[in-house]
Amino acid sequence: MNRNRILFGIGVLAFVSVIVTVRLGGFLVDNEYRQPDRQVAAQEEQGEAELTPRQQGIADEQAADEAEARARPYEEAEYRAVPFVGSRVTVWVLAQLHLLFAAFVLAVPLFAFIIEFVGYVKKEERYNKLAYEFTKLLSVSFSMTATFGAFLTFGLIILYPKFTNYLMHIFSPTFLPYVLLFFLEALFLYSYYYGWGKFGPKMHLFLGFMLNIVGTAIMFIANAWLTFMMSPGTRGADENGDGVPDFVSAVSESGALLSLRDAFFNYTWMPINIHRIIANVAFGGSIAAAYAAFRYLQAKTDEEKAHFDWMGYVGNFVAIIAFLPLPFAGYYLAAEIYAFSQTLGIQMMGGTFSWLFVIQAALIGNLFLGANYYLWLGMGRMEGGVHFQKFIKWLLIAIALCFAVWATPRYAISSVSEIAAMGGSSHPQLSYLGQMSAKNTAVNILILSTYMSFLLYRRTGRQSIHPHRDLLTRAQAIVFSSAAALVIFYGVYGYYVDAATRIRFAIPQVYSVLAALVVITVIDLPLYRNAAQSGETKWGKMPAVSQYALIFIALSFTWLMGLMGYVRSGLRQEWHVYGVILDTSPDAYTPTLGFATQVVSVTVLIFFGLLGVVFWLSSLGGKKDWEPKPVADGGGRLEGGQAA
Amino acid sequence: MKLSIPMPLRLVLLVVGTTAFYMYLGQIVPQKEAHPPPPVLISAEMTTEDLVAVGAELASGKGQCLVGCHTVGQSGPLRYPDLDGIGARAATQIEGLSGLEYLAQSLYEPAAFIVPGFADGMQPIDQPPISLSEDEMKAVIAWLQSLGGTPTVTLATDLGY
Repeated sequence: MNRNRILFGIGVLAFVSVIVTVRLGGFLVDNEYRQPDRQVAAQEEQGEAELTPRQQGIADEQAADEAEARARPYEEAEYRAVPFVGSRVTVWVLAQLHLLFAAFVLAVPLFAFIIEFVGYVKKEERYNKLAYEFTKLLSVSFSMTATFGAFLTFGLIILYPKFTNYLMHIFSPTFLPYVLLFFLEALFLYSYYYGWGKFGPKMHLFLGFMLNIVGTAIMFIANAWLTFMMSPGTRGADENGDGVPDFVSAVSESGALLSLRDAFFNYTWMPINIHRIIANVAFGGSIAAAYAAFRYLQAKTDEEKAHFDWMGYVGNFVAIIAFLPLPFAGYYLAAEIYAFSQTLGIQMMGGTFSWLFVIQAALIGNLFLGANYYLWLGMGRMEGGVHFQKFIKWLLIAIALCFAVWATPRYAISSVSEIAAMGGSSHPQLSYLGQMSAKNTAVNILILSTYMSFLLYRRTGRQSIHPHRDLLTRAQAIVFSSAAALVIFYGVYGYYVDAATRIRFAIPQVYSVLAALVVITVIDLPLYRNAAQSGETKWGKMPAVSQYALIFIALSFTWLMGLMGYVRSGLRQEWHVYGVILDTSPDAYTPTLGFATQVVSVTVLIFFGLLGVVFWLSSLGGKKDWEPKPVADGGGRLEGGQAA
Repeated sequence: MKLSIPMPLRLVLLVVGTTAFYMYLGQIVPQKEAHPPPPVLISAEMTTEDLVAVGAELASGKGQCLVGCHTVGQSGPLRYPDLDGIGARAATQIEGLSGLEYLAQSLYEPAAFIVPGFADGMQPIDQPPISLSEDEMKAVIAWLQSLGGTPTVTLATDLGY
């Protein structure tokens, strides 16, 4: 039995099922109990309508419902429930899906524009093609973003009407600009995508530039809404002269708006803006790399493999370059949360959510490992890569050690007997690794190690021809070693000082690593400009496992975004707007981490399912047009005159 | 015979397997559901001893004193001052302030005096999000006085705020 027969059989079965259902329904209605004919005739004479007992029952119920509805006074609903799943989980999943697609839609134009610009400056067509390949993913993703945005809006209005009304009261002046910007976003996005090759390069770059400006502005407005919920106030003047700016609330104690400006430009608004821009680029790069990996695994020709290998490399490069400064942006956000409210900050790092950061450490450790693994495999696609492979084991040891330190909790999960043996819930030695000094040191060394992997990858198959190459290489080594030494020094010294000083040590650690990244890059650019190629780069010769590594990185990024979205929102605990509007719904509690990770996992699975659809739809453009199958005629000839 | 898993199935296994692994991590860490602190009832006839008990409850609940901030009887790299013995040393912290006045100032105006070696960070706990009532503030002060000192606060005590 072939496929067409099965489809035909299913069609016939469906048709028969509909006919049978309609006939059965008609039979039941026609044969319900009716009053005897004589009595009906008598009723008709008296002008009474014919009602069967069933009809009478229905009419009575309707009358009772209407009477009850008329007697009930109008009450504005505060909350509405969703059966089985609950309101909170419904809104949680919808918001997360909306944010994931939005992050992707905002990020891809950013690096598509940069790649197109590089192609324009270098006059190389391959960059233009790559940028277009990235942009192909945008159209469907934009529709997904808008769809989940609408779902989320309706979800909030239906399930949290009173609170949503409150937010509208605060932010209504921002809605019209938001909608107008969204319209412009659609205009620029579609003209950027469909206008590829139709406009001159400068005009097209201008469209891409405007697309990014408008997209960023949209995100900034939406960020004001959500950060207001976490920190409804801003910094004021230092009235008491203690060196700490006073807190200025944007709303009164009862929640009435005092200043829209303060509500908008609140404590965590700019940190979230910066964190999201960087994280979006990292996430977008990883998803684009996953798309390239998906196409690489499907590719039939060497040309296709080479193209998608390069695309995957660029996507991953974008993701990792954006990922390196992300912990610093996270640190800035955390510092602003502390500045707004120590209680909120302590709740995040030392209270209910402290264990979440152990899971975060495992995720980020996996991301670093995955990214480095891909880079190390990538050395194999270049001749002369063997020279640097001896360093990989040392980098792996450094990364694994840092990963282990970062994932070490201060308080161990222990049985009663283990707690008794340790003399407390913290391990006598290992708990030292669970403290902030050790963790800050570990993450900074992780960043430096990954950057070192990049440097090695960049040098593979290339030989500097700079006249001062030895001097410059030594200078890079000194800068790198000094940064690592400073980070370790402050990490160890942190155990011998008081809490206030120890917290401040994170700043020189961060600055020394950032400075090292900048200085080494500035030296590296001229050092390897016009470098001699010692071998050819064989694009498309990566093992399949490297492509699965790219998909693993995208998965870990997505899961990490879901987890951090939970902590950002969950921090408010039983507050809709922290310290102002209490959540009085049945969901006004912080769920267990186990439950939260289940919700995050389901969301990630839904997202990847939808992403599969996006990838499939985006790949349709490259397929051949449909053509009718040639059908043989009776004489053994094909329609159209072709020989059979 | 070499077993070959088709590529789409491999992708599904990778996605589901990785997600399941991360979800498993979430299941093995300590599980705690954090509910809003239950309301504490303070009645007019409560004695100082009653207030001490209520204050202890508030300190680890609604007041959030012992939720990651202060400790009682610990040493080492502390985030904020350990409260052990505060009832005795309160009177000697700031010249001209009695123990009761010092404790009241610490709760209503925590930035007015920072214990040397620690950072400014505590918020007035009579204001949101903690929002302790005046009677609840008295109960917390009674509990603080009991840590190495003799509690004297009653509901009739004027805290000066």
